[in-house]
Amino acid sequence: MRVIVAEDDAVSRKILETLLRKWGHEVTTTRDGEAAWNVLREPGAPSLAILDIMMPGIDGLELCRRLRQSPHSIPPYIILLTANHGVREIVKGIEAGADDYLTKPYDSDELRVRVQVGVRMIELQTNLAERVKQLEVALAHVKRLEGILPICSYCKRIRNDSDHWQNVESYVAGHSQAEFSHGICPACFETTVKPQLESFKISQAPPLEPVN
Amino acid sequence: MSFERITNETQKTNALAPVLAGVIRITSDAVDMELLNAFEDLQSDDGSDLIVELIDLYLKDASQRVLAIREAALANDWVLLKQVIHNLKGSSASLGVRQVAQTCKMLEEIECDRSPEGFGELLQQMNSEFARASEALLSERQRRLQ
Repeated sequence: MRVIVAEDDAVSRKILETLLRKWGHEVTTTRDGEAAWNVLREPGAPSLAILDIMMPGIDGLELCRRLRQSPHSIPPYIILLTANHGVREIVKGIEAGADDYLTKPYDSDELRVRVQVGVRMIELQTNLAERVKQLEVALAHVKRLEGILPICSYCKRIRNDSDHWQNVESYVAGHSQAEFSHGICPACFETTVKPQLESFKISQAPPLEPVN
Repeated sequence: MSFERITNETQKTNALAPVLAGVIRITSDAVDMELLNAFEDLQSDDGSDLIVELIDLYLKDASQRVLAIREAALANDWVLLKQVIHNLKGSSASLGVRQVAQTCKMLEEIECDRSPEGFGELLQQMNSEFARASEALLSERQRRLQ
């Protein structure tokens, strides 16, 4: 997982970087919020961000707000690091858009499991986004018939989008996944086919012998 | 009120006894070696010593911050002062430099513009704690490089 650490304190930054690399993550570090903001706007930006609240320039809270306002197909999972233990600080962080927080000094095992939660969330979102994409592609291939169709009351032709009158069969075939098999319904057999057959039989019958 | 005036006035008064009570309680261990040595588990295989690297980073960074604190106090820049103290507290706590971190915490909590005497005394305390911690860290660094 690609992770960014934004932390102005060199010691904390080095410890975080070392821990995250040990856990198998690809780590980018920045020493201020501005640099982190630039990295997180790039294509293929890290999915998980560990941000110190107090940083020169753009602080962690402002960075959270900016990230939440900017469009991301999968928004980054944000863990805020705070040295203050006050509830107000935590509430501010979550309100700004952070997903989680850790107070310094933190326990490395606690950091590890919180990062794992983040990884799980990102994987879920990635899978979900992939499913949505697949559904969108599938939906684009499904032709649908909907809305009001202008149809001739006599010949039953339908006026298509190009303003041409098209027979029902070709119109439906062109606007749906339906295919046609051809047959004759009983009513049409009685009213159309049967009279035609009768007429055919008559025409094929040998001429009547003259009656003497 | 300037830093010099703060420290001068500090020497004249004993009114800061409640503030200093916390400082006096500070134990003698400058660095939590157990915490520092816990980073041993994170050592890489490339031959470098992470703990030495962390000590170097801390000493370089913290020395600059201690100077910045002094300058901010002399300039009566309380906002900057609190900010740098906060940063020093963070890096000190991360590396187990507990007494410096604890003194920074007390400095952070004190209303510096309301009780400057206590503030000046704590600053002095922080300087001496930092000196002790630096000595301990340099000694550990030396031991590791041997």
